[in-house]
This record gives sequence, structure tokens and C-alpha cells, in this order.
Amino acid sequence: MPDGARTEYQEELAALEASALGGLDLVSAALGRTLEAVEHQDIELAQIVVADDDRIDGRYLEVHQALITLLATQSPVATDLRLISALLHVLKNIERMGDQCVNICKVIPLSGNEPPADEEMVQLILTMGKQTRTLISQAKRAFCERDVDMARDLVRQDDVVDNLNRECFRLALDIGDDADRREWAMTMLLAARAIERIGDNAVDIGEQVAYVVTGLFREFEDASHPGS
Amino acid sequence: MFGAKSETAETPEQTAGSKPLGETATAGSTPSPVSAIGRGAKTIDVSDANLYYGDFHAVEDVTMKIEPNKVTALIGSSGCGKTTFLRSLNRMHELTPGGTVKGEIRLDGEDIYGRGIDPVEVRRLIGMVFQAPNPFPTMSIYDNVAAGLNLNAGRMKKPDKDAIVERSLRGAHLWEEVKDRLDKPGSGLSGGQQQRLCIARAIAVEPEVLLMDEPCSALDPVATLAIEDLIGELKNRFTIAIVTHNMQQAARASDITAFFNLEKSGTPGRLIEIGPTEKIFMKPDEKATEDYVSGRFG
Repeated sequence: MPDGARTEYQEELAALEASALGGLDLVSAALGRTLEAVEHQDIELAQIVVADDDRIDGRYLEVHQALITLLATQSPVATDLRLISALLHVLKNIERMGDQCVNICKVIPLSGNEPPADEEMVQLILTMGKQTRTLISQAKRAFCERDVDMARDLVRQDDVVDNLNRECFRLALDIGDDADRREWAMTMLLAARAIERIGDNAVDIGEQVAYVVTGLFREFEDASHPGS
Repeated sequence: MFGAKSETAETPEQTAGSKPLGETATAGSTPSPVSAIGRGAKTIDVSDANLYYGDFHAVEDVTMKIEPNKVTALIGSSGCGKTTFLRSLNRMHELTPGGTVKGEIRLDGEDIYGRGIDPVEVRRLIGMVFQAPNPFPTMSIYDNVAAGLNLNAGRMKKPDKDAIVERSLRGAHLWEEVKDRLDKPGSGLSGGQQQRLCIARAIAVEPEVLLMDEPCSALDPVATLAIEDLIGELKNRFTIAIVTHNMQQAARASDITAFFNLEKSGTPGRLIEIGPTEKIFMKPDEKATEDYVSGRFG
């Protein structure tokens, strides 16, 4: 077998990686629209995000199937096998991130047509969303560049999101006794929680970067044993 | 270990109670090969082995251990010296004109190239199964298995020999297929059966180590998987080293994988990396290993 053998297979694997990670661009765009819909209580835009999630799901199904075919036909080992394993995980993360955008967009109509009950909480959620979009693009870049340090840094970035989420919770507790305002705050908490989960998925992608590079899978942070 | 006649006589302890050959065993009547033998496999320790064909330096500075009760796969592209290395482990390399060995190869501490060591006895203790099934074509199935016994143990009583032939054929997963035609020529068997016959012949003389040189390369996938299953079972009794060009076979059938490579044609082959098979196929340390197991060269 000459040097550079299996080029077709290598090219196919590279194309599938690009396609899978391209799913993160779709998610980032979906989250951008979601934030806009939250900010302006734009129900139509929210509906577009919900409908558009089919593209993310479609990407998941298409790339997933192609990766399974590579497993069945090419007997990948070593780095190729780790990459395929990681991409299968990442695809699932991307699909979940898309679903979280849908979850947020589905609750927007519940927040009513009145102006936001608490502008500070809206701004917190928008800040969370922006920060999470940063996480998404950083996760993609860390994967493309196989940069474990950049992947690990996602934990630090995600802490910012987590803190904002807790801040939202505190604001919701203090929103007062008015039933409508409380309902609005509960709805916004669901949105904040969904964004926070998107950030967690970005960190999970970072863990897969470390797996591809080192061959060891370790959670960057163990939620059930914090500080360990 | 190698010299004394008394040690080489493989008088089977299973003789008592053994049945005439050909009689169908009832369930539970035949001791399993493992419990019947009950002795440990042995370690081969290789240090600084350098192998030559005349002036040509074929294998350079190999230091590795082949562990008991494990299957060690030797992989690498053609010409990397893995078969030469395998053949040095039971002193078959020196049978090739100009074939010489420098360095030490020890079987449980004893230098197999030491002074006064009988190479024939080394080859009995360290058996070899070859690439193409090579039963003696005119011999019966029975005589094929018994061939090594006749050479090694001198005169042996028929019932003792029967017992060993049956035990060896059972050990090679061939007994049920041939028990009613033991007097027929071995060459009448299928390729996969012939290879199992050769394995039966190799284990009949109770070796400590089995070396296999691409034992499945001439076999179809079903026969290949049957041999791999057999290898998995035989490792409970023997130390096994197997040369294979089939990467998936190394991945499936071995516990330890050793990758040999040469920089370019005409240079000696070297051991690049050895480790648990899982590691070699998931995260090898060396780029050359990664490229080879991934099929990027070779």
C-alpha cells in the first residue's frame, strides 16, 4: 500500500467531521434567533426556529448514518475510531442544543404580549445567550484545532453562564406577588435553564475533543461530585 | 528443561481410564484439555535479538517479552522481519542457510541458544503452525497427529497414543468432524480442517509455546474465525505468538500486539511498539504504529 493510502476514506471522514461540526453553526444561528424572539417576544420568529430545527435533526441523522456506514465498511481504528466515536457524541449534543432552542421558543407565547415584567431579567437571559454562543463557537474551534486547552477553557466560560442562571433565579424569587409577573418569571426561568443546558452541551463537546486527542475520556467537571 | 530424556517423555497422565480411540465420548467422560494437563505456560524473554541472513541484517535489537497464557500478535508490513523473528523463537531461523541469531532468547529463564541445548527439543517445546496447512499428505489423519509423538517419545503403547491423538484433536476442535475417518488421508480435509489438524499435530507433543505464522491466510472467513476461537482457548494452556497480516485478526484474537517496521527496504526491521492490543488499536504511542493500523501505509 503506497503512502497516503485510503485517501477516499480519509476525505470522507474529514467531510463528515466538517458536516457534523457545521451543525454547531446551525445551533448558533438558532440560538441567535431564539434570543431575538425572547427579546422582542416575537412569536413568529420563534415558530421559524421550531420549524428550522428539522435541519439540525436532519444533519444529525445524515451524518450519524454515514459514520455508522464508515464503521461497518472501513474498520476504523486508533485516531479515526476515536474521532468517529467523538463525532457520534457531538452530533447528539448538537441535536440536544437545537431542541433546547425549540424548548425556549415554545415557551415564548406563554410569556404573553405584555412588555417584559422585568427588563433586568431579560437582559440577563440575553447575556447568557450571547455567552453561550461564544461557548458554541469555541467548542467548534477547539474540536477543529484539536486544542485541549481551549476545550478545557469551556468550563471557565460555562461558569459565567451558570452564574447568570443563578442570578436569574434570584431575580425570579424577588419578582413579587403579582400572579402574571410570577408566571412570566417562571417562563423566563425555563428559558434560562435551557440556555444553561446548551452551555453544558458545549462543555461536553470539549470533553470529546480531549478524548480524540488523548484517548482518555474524563469529565472536565463531575456535576455529581463538584470540586472532586 | 531441554536436555533430559526423562523430561521429554510425554507419558500422558490421562492414560488411566482412557478409552479406545474412536469410541464416542459421553458427556463428562473426557477431561478438558486444560484440566488434563494442568501445567503453566512459559514466558519467552527476548533481549537485544539481532537476526541475520548471511551479511544481511534482517532484524535489529528486539527486546520484548512474550507472556504466558496470552496471545501476542506480531504485525508489520512485508519484509519487516516479523516472521524471521518468530522463527528465531524456536530455532528455526538457523535452518535457513546463513541464518544466525545474536542476543538472548530465554524460555522461562533458560537460554534456548545456550550451550548444549538440543534445537530439536527446543522445537518440541516451542511448536510452530505454518501459513499454509501442511499435513503429511499420504498419512492418515491419525498418523498426522501422532507424527510428532513417534519422533519425540520413541515407542509408545497404542492406547496411550490413541488417548493423545483424541485429546489433541479435541483440543483443536476437530475430533467430532474426523473421529469416524481417522484412517483417511489428512489431505482429504478442507483447508480449515487441515489447519486444525496441523494445530492438533503441534499440540500433541505438549509444547509450552505455540508459534503461528499467518495461520489463517489461506482460509476462508468462517474457517478463520474457527481458528481464532481455537487460539482463544489454546491460550489457557500455551503461550501463543502469532504473525498476521490481518489487522482485524490481531485486534480480535490477541491480547498483546507488537508492531515491527523498517525504515526503508534493505534496512533491518525493528520492534517499534508493543502493548496491550486495545491500546495499539485505540491510542498507540508511535505515529508509525498509528499509520500502519489505520491502513495509511503498509
